[in-house]
Amino acid sequence: MSRWYVYCLGDEVTAEMVEGARGLDGAPLSLVGRGDISAVVSAFAEERVPVTPENALTHNRVNAALLARSTPLPFRFGTLVAEARLLDFIESHEAALREALARVRGAVEMSVKIIWDLEAVKREAVGPEPEASKAEGEEAAEGATATSEATSEAGGSGTAFLLAKRREILSGEALREKAEALAGWFGGRLSDLAREARVVVNPKGALVVRAAHLVGRGQVEEFRARVHQLGEERAGSLRFLTSGPWPPYSFGDVRP
Amino acid sequence: MKPVEPEIETEHAGEFVAELRRVADALPERINVDAKSVEQGLAKLVLTLIELIRRLLEKQAIRRMEGEGLTPEQVEELGLALMKLEAKMRELKGQFGLEDEDLNLDLGPIGRLI
Repeated sequence: MSRWYVYCLGDEVTAEMVEGARGLDGAPLSLVGRGDISAVVSAFAEERVPVTPENALTHNRVNAALLARSTPLPFRFGTLVAEARLLDFIESHEAALREALARVRGAVEMSVKIIWDLEAVKREAVGPEPEASKAEGEEAAEGATATSEATSEAGGSGTAFLLAKRREILSGEALREKAEALAGWFGGRLSDLAREARVVVNPKGALVVRAAHLVGRGQVEEFRARVHQLGEERAGSLRFLTSGPWPPYSFGDVRP
Repeated sequence: MKPVEPEIETEHAGEFVAELRRVADALPERINVDAKSVEQGLAKLVLTLIELIRRLLEKQAIRRMEGEGLTPEQVEELGLALMKLEAKMRELKGQFGLEDEDLNLDLGPIGRLI
C-alpha cells in the first residue's frame, strides 16, 4: 500500500505554494485535504524514513518554506500515512485542528535552551560532599568499609548507606527546587512576549531548561533581545542558546 | 518558495552541541520487535517497577531513621538490607545491559523516578 510522507497541514496552504517544490528523496510536493484543510505530502516508497540529517533538514525546509507564507501545523518527523487514513484523520479531527490552527496563526516557535553549572549548583544546595560519605554512597553496596563519623557512632556500613542515601535525596530535592525556580524566573520574564510556552526542566542535567515559545511574528526581534538581556543578567552562572523562528513544532501535536 | 531561515544565537556553541548530542544519543532511532528485544523490554519493565519500589523503601527507611523510632541496630539492619537490594539490582541491570536511565519513569507532578 503506498503511503504519503506528511510534512504539515494548514487552512491557508494552497497548491500554488507547493508548486515545483520537492520533499524527501526529491519527490514533488502535493496537497491532500478536505475542505480548506490540506496536508502537504510527498510520495515515499520505503517502509520507514531513515533518520538522517539530510531527511530531517528536508522535513524542516518544507515546513519553513510554508511558514514563509502561512502558519502550518507541522507533523512529527517520519510520519507516513495512507491517503484514506489521512483524509479520515482530517475529517474526524476537524474541530481540534481548526482550534490548533487558530492558536498558532501568525506565530512562530522560538526555542531557548539554558545550561547551568550543575556542580556549582549542587555545592550551593547541599554544601561540599564529605569524602567519607561519597565513598560510602558509591561503594557501600559493594561491601566497602564505612568510615564516616556517623558510621563510627552507629557502627556499620548499613547506617552509612542510609545516611549517604539521605544526602542524595536531599540534594535531588534541592536541585529540583532550584531548577523550577530558574524556569519560573525565566518564564515570568518572557510571559508578555509568548502566547504559550512548553518548558522541560531537567534538574539533574547540565542542560537544565529546554523551552519552546509561541511568539507572534512581529515580536521575534523583541523576544530575541529579551533573552539576550536575560543572558547578560546571569552571565556568570547561566548559558543561553536561542534559535528560531521555527514552524510551531511543539504546539501542534498532530498525529494521524 | 523561500524558507524562513532560523537564526541561532549563543556564545557557548561547543557546550550546547555536546549537551544536545548527549540527549540525542539517549534516544533510540527505532525500537525493534524481535524475540531478544521483547525479552529485554520485559526485563526493563519488571526492573523499572522493582526500582520504583526500592526507592520508595529507601525513602521510607530514611523517614523512619529521621523519626528516631528505630534503635541503632535496627537502622543498621535496614541499611544493610537496602544496600544488598541495590547491589542485586545493579547485577540484574548488568545482565540485561540496562543503564539507570533505562529504568526511568515520568511520574508526572512528582517528577521523574531517576
